[in-house]
Amino acid sequence: MHQLWTWVFEPGFFSSAPVRVAAVTGGVAAVVSAVTGVFTVMRGQSFGGHALGDVSAAGGSGALLVGLNPLLGFVGLGIIGAGVMDTIGVRRVRGRDLATGIVLGAAIGLSALFLYLTSVSGATTGAPAQILFGSIFTITSATIPAVVILSVIAVASIAAVWRPLLLSSVSPDLAAARGVPVRLVGLLYMLALAVSVGLSSLAVGAILSTALLIGPAATALRLTRTVGWALAVACLLGAGATWLGILLAYDSYYWSAAHQGLPVSFFIVAVIFAGYLFSGFPAARAAAGRRDAAVPPPASPAHEKIAA
Amino acid sequence: MVFTAGRPAARRSPRRRKALVLAGAAAALAVAAAGCGTSATPAASAKSTTVINAIGAENEYANVLAQIGGKYVHVSSILNNPATDPHTYESSPSVAQEVSSAQLIVQNGVGYDTFMNKMESASPNASRKLIVVQHVLGLPDSTANPHLWYDPKTMPAVAKAMAAELSALQPAHKTYFQANLKAFDASLAPLNSAIAQFKAKYPGTTAATTEPVADYLLQAMGIKNLTPFSFQADIMNGVDPSPQDISLENGFFAQHTAKVFAYNQQVVDALTTSIRQAAQRAGIPVVGVYETMPTPGYRYQSWMLAEVHAIQKAVVSKISTQRL
Repeated sequence: MHQLWTWVFEPGFFSSAPVRVAAVTGGVAAVVSAVTGVFTVMRGQSFGGHALGDVSAAGGSGALLVGLNPLLGFVGLGIIGAGVMDTIGVRRVRGRDLATGIVLGAAIGLSALFLYLTSVSGATTGAPAQILFGSIFTITSATIPAVVILSVIAVASIAAVWRPLLLSSVSPDLAAARGVPVRLVGLLYMLALAVSVGLSSLAVGAILSTALLIGPAATALRLTRTVGWALAVACLLGAGATWLGILLAYDSYYWSAAHQGLPVSFFIVAVIFAGYLFSGFPAARAAAGRRDAAVPPPASPAHEKIAA
Repeated sequence: MVFTAGRPAARRSPRRRKALVLAGAAAALAVAAAGCGTSATPAASAKSTTVINAIGAENEYANVLAQIGGKYVHVSSILNNPATDPHTYESSPSVAQEVSSAQLIVQNGVGYDTFMNKMESASPNASRKLIVVQHVLGLPDSTANPHLWYDPKTMPAVAKAMAAELSALQPAHKTYFQANLKAFDASLAPLNSAIAQFKAKYPGTTAATTEPVADYLLQAMGIKNLTPFSFQADIMNGVDPSPQDISLENGFFAQHTAKVFAYNQQVVDALTTSIRQAAQRAGIPVVGVYETMPTPGYRYQSWMLAEVHAIQKAVVSKISTQRL
C-alpha cells in the first residue's frame, strides 16, 4: 500500500514549496476558467477566448520587457483586448471570426516584438517559453494574493449577472426582447473572460490558456444536462486536470536517469484532452442521459439548459 | 520607372494594368536579388594587407586575439554586451558583412555560437582561417558545458592556435606573434597561482550556481558545485527547472551547505532573482559571473583573476561581489 502511495506521489510532493504554490494558483485559475468557460462554450466564443489568450501573451511579454510581473500584463492587456473586441463586434455571429482573427494576428505580432526586445535588451533567456507555455513551478508565493483577488473579481462579475447572462448566452434576441441589457452583460462577461484567461496564461501559458478555458467546460456540458451541474463538473475537471498535471510533471523527474522533468503545461492539457475524448464515448453519454431520464430529450440542448 | 508608369496605367484596360503590376513585381524581385548578390561578395578585399581582419565571436576570445595579433590585427567581437544573454543572440546583416570579410575567426563551438557557422557558410571563403575552441581542446559535440573560456587550461591552447594561424596569414611577423604568445602565457601566472593557492588553502569548499557558466573555474579551484546539472542546464536553456531541483537549490542556502553562490548576471529571470534573494536572506555571499567579458577595464587575464579574488573574498570573508 505504502509502495503504491510513493509510486503515485513521489517523495517530497506534498512538502515541496513550488508544488504548493503551483497547486494553489493552478487550481484557482482552473476554477475561474471553468466558470467562464461554460459560458464561452455556450456562446460559441471559443475562438474569441483563444484570441484573448494571444492578447494576454502580448501583455505578459510587454510586462516582462518593462520589468513588471507578467500577471499584470496578462490581465491588463486582456481586459483592453476584450474591450476592443467588444467594440469591433465580437457579439455579432456574422463577421466576428474576422474581427477576432484581426485582433489575434495583431496581438501575436506584438508578442513577437516584445519577446524579441526582451531577449536582446535584457538578460532573460526563457521569456518566450514562460509567456507562451507557462511556468507554473516558478511562480512565487507573493503572486498568490493577486491571483485570489482577480479570481474573486471574475467570479463575482459572472455571479452578478447570472440570470441575464444565461439568457443572453442561450438566446441574445430573446434576452433583448425581455429587456436584458445585453451589451452590459456581454461586457461584464468579457471582463471575467479576460481575467480568467490572464490567470490561466500565468498557470499554463498564454497559448494553452484556451485548453483550460474550454476543455473542462466542453466536457462538462457533454456530461450534464443543466448549467448548474455543468459548472460544478467543469470546476472539478479543471482543478482535477491541473492537479493531476502537476503531479505527473513532478513524478516525471524520476522517469529518466538524468532527472529531466517534463513540462507541466503539457500534462495539464493532455489530461484535459483525454477527459474530453472519454466524455464522447457512448457509454459516458448514455450515463449522462440516464441520469436525466425523467426529463424528455430537448429539441435544442441550449433551450433545455435555460429551462433548468 | 515602375512608379511613373503607375498613374497613366489607371486608365488602361484591366489586363494591361495587371501585366504592368506583374512586371513591376518582377523588377522589384530582380533588384532585391541583385542586392543580395552584391552584399554577399567581400567588400573589404582591397583593404590594407598589413592588418589582418579578425573576429572573436565572444569578446573574451577577441581580447586574447588582439593581445596575440597586436598591431598587425584588427579584431572585432560579436557577443560583447554584458547586459544580454548570448544564448539568445540573433545575427544582423552588418555582422554577416563583417564575417564575410574576416580573414581569421575564433569561435567557441559546442553549440554556443552556431549562428557563426550559418554566417560562415553563407559567405564561403577558402582562404579564411577558422579556430573553433572546442576542436582546439578536442572536445566532443556532446560536451555538456559550453562555457570553455572559464577553464584555465583553455586560453593557453587557444592563444597558441591563434599565434599559429596569424603566422600562417603573415609569415613575416611570425616572431612578433610568438613573442606576444610568450608574453600572454607569462601574464597568466598570477591567475594560475591564485587558483592553486585557493585550492590548497580551502579544500572542500562548496558552491551553488544558477548556470554552468563558471563551473570549469570552480572545478579548477577545487570547489564542489552542489547544484545538480539538470537545474543548471534548464536555466541555461531557458526552460523551467523541475520543482525538485528548485527546492534542492533553495535548500543549499536555508541549510547553509553552500559557502558561495555563483550567479550568472547575464541570464536573469524571476526564478534566478528569487534564488539570489534566498541566498542573500540566508547570508550566503553572491559572486556575479558572466558569459562575456565585462567591459571596459578588463582583459581576459584580469577578468578571470577578478573572479577568483571575488570567490575567495566570498568564501573567506563572506563578502558578496554581485558585479565585477
